[in-house]
Amino acid sequence: MAQENSMAVPDFLSKAEILKQGAEARVYRAQFLGKPTIVKQRFPKRYRHPTLDEKLTHRRTVQEVRSVLRCRKAGKFSSISQRAVEILHFHFSSGIPAPVVYFVDYTSHCIFLEEIIGSSTVRDHIMSTQQSDSCKELELERLAERMGHILAKMHDEDVIHGDLTTSNMLLRCSLENGESDLVLIDFGLSYISALPEDKGVDLYVLEKAFLSTHPNTEALFEKLLKSYTAASRKSSAVIKKLDEVR
Amino acid sequence: MHLTHELELFPDHSVTQLLFKEVKNAAELRQSAVAGKINGALINPTMLVDPFQVLVAANKAVNLEKTGKMKTRSLYSEIIFNLSPTNNISEAFKRFGISDGDDSVLVVLVHNKDQPQLLSDITAAVNGRQVPVEDISSLSDQTKIRKLYKITPQEEKCGTLLDAVVCRMAIKDVM
Repeated sequence: MAQENSMAVPDFLSKAEILKQGAEARVYRAQFLGKPTIVKQRFPKRYRHPTLDEKLTHRRTVQEVRSVLRCRKAGKFSSISQRAVEILHFHFSSGIPAPVVYFVDYTSHCIFLEEIIGSSTVRDHIMSTQQSDSCKELELERLAERMGHILAKMHDEDVIHGDLTTSNMLLRCSLENGESDLVLIDFGLSYISALPEDKGVDLYVLEKAFLSTHPNTEALFEKLLKSYTAASRKSSAVIKKLDEVR
Repeated sequence: MHLTHELELFPDHSVTQLLFKEVKNAAELRQSAVAGKINGALINPTMLVDPFQVLVAANKAVNLEKTGKMKTRSLYSEIIFNLSPTNNISEAFKRFGISDGDDSVLVVLVHNKDQPQLLSDITAAVNGRQVPVEDISSLSDQTKIRKLYKITPQEEKCGTLLDAVVCRMAIKDVM
């Protein structure tokens, strides 16, 4: 009885639109509970021993959703009373935007997440901005500053993203003021760590991806690091480790 | 008035929500539910932000029922349990189930396509005025919800209260 009904998610996905197929997982788009949803399915790897595969896949799924929630909850104030926080809340910056998780099916290793509508990747945005006129330089600098700021918050929360690239950051247009929200996605390789080495490597991965995808952006990345250093409480150790690897 | 949604993952299952105000027989309803006489989940609507929150809980409950992995004894108690941000079952019932003195109640039914009899049975059993389910936001006690789900102001700056609540509901079993 239990076996036959664990086909619900795979059956549902067989009719959904495939967006991407990676080495680790397949990404679909579908309507779920009336909302546009992204489904990330980690499929079995036949080259692995089945017991090991199950354990590994399960662990990766769990780590991914834990990191998403940890990012969204970022900035706990355990020593200040909730009332004090409410009074002062306009002084505090916002948390780290990541997609909302709607549902996790541990049988099929699928994560059902909010689809961020009306967004483009930072990668696409930088590319299209560079191809147009150069008065947009300031806008890219501002973007780099925001990226540094968000990554600082994430690392201060001891979340290591593990796969930082400009394709894993989305710009979501918010309607009110026309300004875009930066949203981090794809926490598939993420984990929790307080070590400056891990954070340094996280930034190193981004630097390599950034400079190889977007030519002539060394100065832009420096702006990102400057913003990171200013926004993070633990940045000096991290930057030191980054310089060691670079 | 009521809201019905067919679960995409379980196409033969539909979730119907009915909202009642000015309820006079909450105690009696609660007793019937405990005795297993009511074919639905009775929820305290002041703890709800949006009908979507209920759909998320119901979807998860049906999935766990199908795979034999429910934490509670019935589908309806599982729905109530899924609303809670913690893994403590009795606390979930206390906070999200109805209490004797409540004057509003949200009823959740899980059924096959068209079952008008079920709906009329419920409306007959509840001594109150049925209102559109969309009105639920007017009943939400946001302060209580923020406190129970431990939602920070920063979190609400980059997402809605509903986002924060649903995320916790979806991930609580591995946090």
